[in-house]
Amino acid sequence: MLRLRTLLLLLPLLAPTAMADSRQPTHSYTLDNGLNVIIREDHRAPVVVSQVWYKVGGVDEPPGQTGLSHALEHMMFKGSEHLEPGQASRLLSSLGASENAMTNRDYTAYYQMLSRDQLPVALEMEAERMHLLTLPEDEFLKEIEVIKEERRMRVDDNPNGVAYERFLAQAYTASPYAQPVIGWMHDLDRMQIEDLRAWYKSHYVPGNATLVIVGDVYPETVKPLVERYFGAVPAGPLPVVRKPLELPVIGERSLTQHLDLQLPSLLLGFNVPSLNTVSEPWEAHALRLLDAVLDGGYSARLPSHLERGDAIATSVGTGYDAFTRGDSLFVFSGIPNEARDIDLPTLEAAIWKEIDAIKQTPPSAEELARVQAQVVAGLVYAQDNIMQQANRIGELVTVGLPWQLVDNDIEALQAVTPEQVSEVARRYLVRERLTRSYNLPNAREEQQP
Amino acid sequence: MSQSKPFSVLRWLIALAALGGMLFLLMERAPDSQPASDTPAVAQAPDDGPADTATEVFGSPLPALSSLEELDLDTPPARRGLDLQHWQTRQGTPVYFMHAGELPMLDIQLLYAAGASRDGELPGLAMFTNAMLNEGTGSLDAGDIAAGFERLGAQFGNSSHRDMGLISLRTLTAADKLDPALTLFAQILSKPSFPAASLERIREQLLAGLRYARQRPGAQASEALWSTLYPGHPYGIPPDGSEDSLKAISRDDLQRFQQTYYSAGNAVIALVGDIDRARAEQLAQHLADAMPQGPAAEPTPPAEKIAASSQHIDFASSQTHVLVAQQGMSRTDPDYAALYLGNQILGGSGFGSRLVEEVREKRGLSYSVGSNFSAMQAPGPFVISLQTRSDQAEQALEVVNQTLDRFISEGPTDAEVNRAKQQLLGEFPLSTASNSAIVAQLAAIGFYNLPLNHMQLFLDRVQALTATDIREAFARHLPASERVVITVGPPQPPAEPEDNADQPSAAAEQEPSA
Repeated sequence: MLRLRTLLLLLPLLAPTAMADSRQPTHSYTLDNGLNVIIREDHRAPVVVSQVWYKVGGVDEPPGQTGLSHALEHMMFKGSEHLEPGQASRLLSSLGASENAMTNRDYTAYYQMLSRDQLPVALEMEAERMHLLTLPEDEFLKEIEVIKEERRMRVDDNPNGVAYERFLAQAYTASPYAQPVIGWMHDLDRMQIEDLRAWYKSHYVPGNATLVIVGDVYPETVKPLVERYFGAVPAGPLPVVRKPLELPVIGERSLTQHLDLQLPSLLLGFNVPSLNTVSEPWEAHALRLLDAVLDGGYSARLPSHLERGDAIATSVGTGYDAFTRGDSLFVFSGIPNEARDIDLPTLEAAIWKEIDAIKQTPPSAEELARVQAQVVAGLVYAQDNIMQQANRIGELVTVGLPWQLVDNDIEALQAVTPEQVSEVARRYLVRERLTRSYNLPNAREEQQP
Repeated sequence: MSQSKPFSVLRWLIALAALGGMLFLLMERAPDSQPASDTPAVAQAPDDGPADTATEVFGSPLPALSSLEELDLDTPPARRGLDLQHWQTRQGTPVYFMHAGELPMLDIQLLYAAGASRDGELPGLAMFTNAMLNEGTGSLDAGDIAAGFERLGAQFGNSSHRDMGLISLRTLTAADKLDPALTLFAQILSKPSFPAASLERIREQLLAGLRYARQRPGAQASEALWSTLYPGHPYGIPPDGSEDSLKAISRDDLQRFQQTYYSAGNAVIALVGDIDRARAEQLAQHLADAMPQGPAAEPTPPAEKIAASSQHIDFASSQTHVLVAQQGMSRTDPDYAALYLGNQILGGSGFGSRLVEEVREKRGLSYSVGSNFSAMQAPGPFVISLQTRSDQAEQALEVVNQTLDRFISEGPTDAEVNRAKQQLLGEFPLSTASNSAIVAQLAAIGFYNLPLNHMQLFLDRVQALTATDIREAFARHLPASERVVITVGPPQPPAEPEDNADQPSAAAEQEPSA
């Protein structure tokens, strides 16, 4: 998701005057039991999105128990006090509602999108499973097999998935972001229902959660509903939410992976701070601009110079997520253009040339204006999709940042100077922070860095 | 998080090779459901809904939830009022329009009968042409075009499918953004220049894309499915092309394809956004004038029926991909509503559907399982797909065949039909929640020649259906004598005598595994 998210995070470069028109009424408050509630109005269609976000994800799992959060997410559909396993899904489906859940390194989230008249059903079911989940062992024994199939499909039979999983395991050393969210297969093999019961008990309390509602609702009618269903959930002891921190300087790491690939690929990851861990926030904003100047569109530097231009890469791009709970990565990825006999070292050298260029010469006014125009427009486009708005708000709050950033961290981005973009490249895109992975097709000649 | 770094679909496809792995950072409980092209299109709200009681819809016993007891199921969910409009340009290009004034933006979608089914002797030609459209026009090269849109905050999109080629633009409607974005857009429609440097680069990327597909068992299975179901038919042509054809395609071929198929007579224009009717008419005419002038392409004819078969493709993976498929229905089939509703019950609506219950929920055999009708211009495929650990593939196939056989012979229950009807009524408002969803549906209405009130007619038909209607429609369209099974995974072990009880159904036995 790194790539998809990046530009979206750049949205708020908009001028403050234009903002006033586009921002939708948003209401934020906390229930007595600690549940954080954010309601955003969008009255274009009689539809609403309801989401509950928990501050628990892969990053919280102890070694040997990877995959717990994701497995618990699956088990959240396997019954609660008044609902049989799978019954809530069948009921919601009968109403025409769409629902799903997602687990990430930093969070676990559940959502329903449905007609506004049906919102109480979603709220009641979600509130019930916040504290009255059944977690039956027979259902777990079946579901863990589904999860293993999911792992096989996403990772084990997908050489890009394997390559990236192992790359992350090298790129992070002190930080638990090294662990795969879906869990190592050997941890899935030894997972027990008791582990999930303990995980549920310690992390699923209202004070560790945020309810986000976006759509055709008004606070005066929704607040009583929220109080009625979620107010009944008892407050519990709050788990400690820790920021995953990385060592300041680790040293250059390099790995070569031989996989069932058809096309070789390259990953270069640099350990960088996120907005949550950075000591000077402008650095994170400058890294966001650096990402956009390099790969924020088909006219950005990497596609212009390396895909077109010299035709060194079949594909090349960058990704940086500033909105994580802990320290982040700035990643370059690419596929060399083998039709022109480009190998991985040549592609890497070309990427370093681009890095060195931006270290020495700040981006032009034209480049930054282009980034800004996309960000300004993107803010308007994002309002076309209530699910996207809810995701953005929920994610910000859950990683420990204010939801208001969805509308206004413009000033912070506008305050970044072109010289500061070069400065973060000089500070962070250095070999002591680098993890390099050469991913090579099996049974082909090895290419040494 | 649907917004992505705006770049061409082709580039995205290739980028997945490097970045696909990143996706598993975020996992969803269930895979995405059906492709958007198969969702029914929009229309006005009906006056009333079915008088279903909670028990009919939800089954019994009903869980003790107060919100369910208080839910008024006899009143259909509230709907967005949609003022859909339709006219033709002077050339006869159909235009579909909805004014949406809430956001200062405009979505334009152009659909052409310019998909891979028009490739003829040069597989990949349609996709190659589509990918070249924004690579040069007049004196502008690919970088100039990209920078031109990006400095306005406009998003250009293009993609190629079996029936259609698609070009889209999303832009702000402030005059200083809209006017230059439209000028550039029209230039692309009018005279793409197919510059030599781009041509070779895109050719290399498409060839790389072919290689990338070889590392994906799902792509292997899909290719085998289409070529098996549609031998000698336009739908059997691989849209990504072949190595030979991609190397053979010339600039003249691309130019000829663009002139023939990206013409005003072969286009549908859909517009949704913050412009008024007069501006929409002027804008649509301007776009149609910019296109090459030419007639509509002949509709794709139905394919010849094919006999049941079974084939296995060896692939070094831990899972086996299983596809059970046959020719299904066209978008204008009289049985469209019955098959659509029946498929919801069989495996098209995720949890609660029979296939998900039997394969995933009861047996834990697969993460992703479902069924789908691709309703296309000519009858497209009906496909059931799943992936499972290889030693379970035979068992999973058996469950699928039994579930399908039983559904065809016995049909759904009345309770299932009532539930599915309620489901479709409830889903409808969701399909109109965004401009992007509406513009896609308007374009599909135009492309498949459906009436403007198509959704209303569809919902009316659905509400009138009985379990018998569905059973008969499935029996008519899905005879077991035409069922094809494709498996991709590790080599299959030779059949053991004691495995007889687990043999796949009759349909899969007609030919030995390849």
